[in-house]
Amino acid sequence: MTNAITIEHVNKVYDGKVTALKDVSFNVEEGEVFGLVGPDGAGKSTLFNILTTLLLPDSGKISLLGMDVINEYKSVRQIIGYLPGVFSLYPDLSVEENLQFFAVMYKSSIEENMELIRPIWKQISPFSDRKAGKLSGGMKQKLALCCALIHCPKILFLDEPTTGVDPVSRKEFWDILKSIRTQGITVVVSTPYMDEATRCDRIAMIQEGQILGINTPSAFIRDFQGKLYTFRSENIFSLLNIMEQCPLRCNYYPYGEHCHIAFYDDVATALPQFEQFLQEQGQSHGEIIAIDPSVEDCFIEIVQMRNALNQTQP
Amino acid sequence: MILRKEFIHIFRDKITLFLVLAMPIALVLLFGFTISSDIRNAKISVLDQANDSQSKKLIEKITASGYFQVVSYPNNEVEIDDDFKSKNIKLAIIIPARFEESLSNEHEASLQVINDVSDLNVASVLNNYVRAVVHSFTEEYNSKTGETTPFDITTKMLYNPEMNSVYMFVPGIITLIMILVTALLTSITLAREKETGTMRMLLITPVKKIHIVLGKVIPYMIISFISTIIILVLSVFVFKMPINGSIPFLLFLCIIFMLTAASFGMLISSISSTQLDAMMITMMGLFLPTVLLSGFLFPLNSMPMVFQVLANVFPAKWFILAIKDVMIKGAGFFDIWKYLLILFAMAVVFISFSLMRLDKRN
Amino acid sequence: MNSIEVHDLTKQFGAFTAVNHISFEVREGEIFGFLGANGAGKTTAIKMMSGLLQPTSGTAIIAGYDVRTQSKLIKRNIGYMSQRFSLYNDLTVFENMQLFGTIYKIPRKELKERIHTSLKELDMDQHANTLVEAIPLGWKQKLAFATAILHRPKIVFLDEPTSGVDPIVRREFWKLIYDTASTGVTILVTTHYMDEAEYCNRISIMAEGELKLIGTPDELKKKMAATTINDVFVKFVRR
Repeated sequence: MTNAITIEHVNKVYDGKVTALKDVSFNVEEGEVFGLVGPDGAGKSTLFNILTTLLLPDSGKISLLGMDVINEYKSVRQIIGYLPGVFSLYPDLSVEENLQFFAVMYKSSIEENMELIRPIWKQISPFSDRKAGKLSGGMKQKLALCCALIHCPKILFLDEPTTGVDPVSRKEFWDILKSIRTQGITVVVSTPYMDEATRCDRIAMIQEGQILGINTPSAFIRDFQGKLYTFRSENIFSLLNIMEQCPLRCNYYPYGEHCHIAFYDDVATALPQFEQFLQEQGQSHGEIIAIDPSVEDCFIEIVQMRNALNQTQP
Repeated sequence: MILRKEFIHIFRDKITLFLVLAMPIALVLLFGFTISSDIRNAKISVLDQANDSQSKKLIEKITASGYFQVVSYPNNEVEIDDDFKSKNIKLAIIIPARFEESLSNEHEASLQVINDVSDLNVASVLNNYVRAVVHSFTEEYNSKTGETTPFDITTKMLYNPEMNSVYMFVPGIITLIMILVTALLTSITLAREKETGTMRMLLITPVKKIHIVLGKVIPYMIISFISTIIILVLSVFVFKMPINGSIPFLLFLCIIFMLTAASFGMLISSISSTQLDAMMITMMGLFLPTVLLSGFLFPLNSMPMVFQVLANVFPAKWFILAIKDVMIKGAGFFDIWKYLLILFAMAVVFISFSLMRLDKRN
Repeated sequence: MNSIEVHDLTKQFGAFTAVNHISFEVREGEIFGFLGANGAGKTTAIKMMSGLLQPTSGTAIIAGYDVRTQSKLIKRNIGYMSQRFSLYNDLTVFENMQLFGTIYKIPRKELKERIHTSLKELDMDQHANTLVEAIPLGWKQKLAFATAILHRPKIVFLDEPTSGVDPIVRREFWKLIYDTASTGVTILVTTHYMDEAEYCNRISIMAEGELKLIGTPDELKKKMAATTINDVFVKFVRR
């Protein structure tokens, strides 16, 4: 596999004080769906702006399909498609006018690349005369995707494409991304939603401008250090109150009627100890069942381990 | 394509379109009728020191124009002063002695016009009527004799002596409209692209930045140009304003100023990130100084030095100087090339600065 | 005791029925998820429940007050927090809280005390005079919530309270919400993010103006043979 994107030691500081990116390096392989996962303010947008030639890094080297984003930005712009996080089309132009406009901007035409966008276009073409501003959230997103694909880009950047979109539209959107991938287009998507990360081939976790780790979602879950369990609680409030006194090394959090808990001691001894603790505190509870961690669990664990490491080595 | 899209935006937004085209008409009519109500049958005095056939003809012509009503024929300049005070005359004309003689022998003549400039607008309009009448008088005379007779009219201002330039409201309105339409709308439309995020989409395409900007600016320049023509047509046909300079040159001057105004709009949009910002900055930073410091409403010479210096920064001052010269004095390119150069230089500086700002890469 | 009792609540805009005879109850201290796709009638229902919109028919008793006749009292007894709008960045932490407290007419002295207690609970008392823009996102989140409950509302509406927030902060935030609920405050959560819905005690899903599903997350998962609320939602809408 060749690399669609190589990023080497990229740094970016705003106004000389706010560090947005700190020594970021990773590669994206050609034809994969790569997820950049991290909370708001982690540096995702900054990295996207640099990758899409809208912003210059302070230092570091980035190339897209062998082209340097700094010196060869003009040719880079020809091969990238970009879907910004907020709706960025003309609300007072019709669906078709918007698409037409972006096609011409890339010296292309709707007909030329119809093949690529046909599955999406089919869904929005019934509304082709409607003003873009009057579309529903999911439809807007699909139109924006059409516009980003109209010049048949090699790499597609999607900046938080599912923010503010309902679950059904989100699912449809990810299904569309899969079909785009089969066309050989590399897809880079950023999202603050950890549950979406499992839909990517590989993900990079990012926080405070630093890459925490890069792997496949299943590898992240495999490498989860703790042992995660869940149990039903009759009274989640009082449970939370007593949990602070729990003597075991663990992470816990309420989850509806359930409590999730990750043990960091040997489970064979920790589990009976925990059950005993609950009993002593008079907490009735359901069966304690082992579950697979989510990407969010992995993210939290990695951040916490990092923090612990930083504290021991100031 | 950007151009086409921009026109779609404009035509979809009917309210703005209506305002942009109706406002100049409303402004011209408003200013025009307020002033013209004052100047129908304005009272004047004529001191005829020549008392010959040509001077009589001239007086007849002035009376026949319908704008003036000669209420007294004073015998000397002191009496003129009295007329201004007691008879409420707006203007006095002094025809020098040997008027006919100088016309036929020296092929030139001079008139002296004394204005009551306590009401600036009225004074300037009346002054122009006098010029128009004298102009047609000269043409008639020339066509009979086959001579070319240059006329020299010296104007003397009373009650507001600092006001030494001829003042007209039409250049003022043209300036305001062009600033409003070109600069304001340009800055708003560019800021809107930023606000909706579409500017990023445009920047990311291989289209050149200058094309993006031109595509967005030209439609507003065209609209502003149409407004300007509306104003000119209205002033000439409804209010009989004279345009002494060449009309193509006048329009050329307007285009240059529009370019400057548009580039100022670009500059503003480059430092504002929302439409509201752009609007506020244009109103406070450009429109207000234009009204106050261009010499349109308030004579610049009577302002504190600071403001006089500050006025140089705003394109409006230079444009008003230029357009007045062209419309009233009939100036040509070589008379006002300095103003044109200043306006053009401003445009170049503004455009390059905002293009730089537009590219975050630098 | 129920803090929300909605019975046959209906809202019509002309011929269009935005909310169609919905009925449900929410217990005091319950965390209730109010879900639905865009245009399902969620927003209209919430506007009626918070006294901003008169229902066409039906009743809603919120915190013991009737939405038809006592909307002023309802407004005084509910709090609202959204991820999008919460605090003024150019005011300090204290000024923000003071502003919102004053809006709810909390007496000056009392307000000052409440702010200090509230900040102490959040471990933020040393930051009372810091500008909001200077504090980390996670703290802002908690602060916004603390501000929304400063006037001791009986019900708090949370609109996508933690979408896009750092997962660690998010879990801490939910702990705060559980704490608050345990004091008897009812929490009503609206969100697009079904993982947020997982944190609720009970959830309801609206579609086409009707309340189609209601129950605990476990019940709904069982009913729809799904493993997550997200699956529940997708399956439900696809059906």
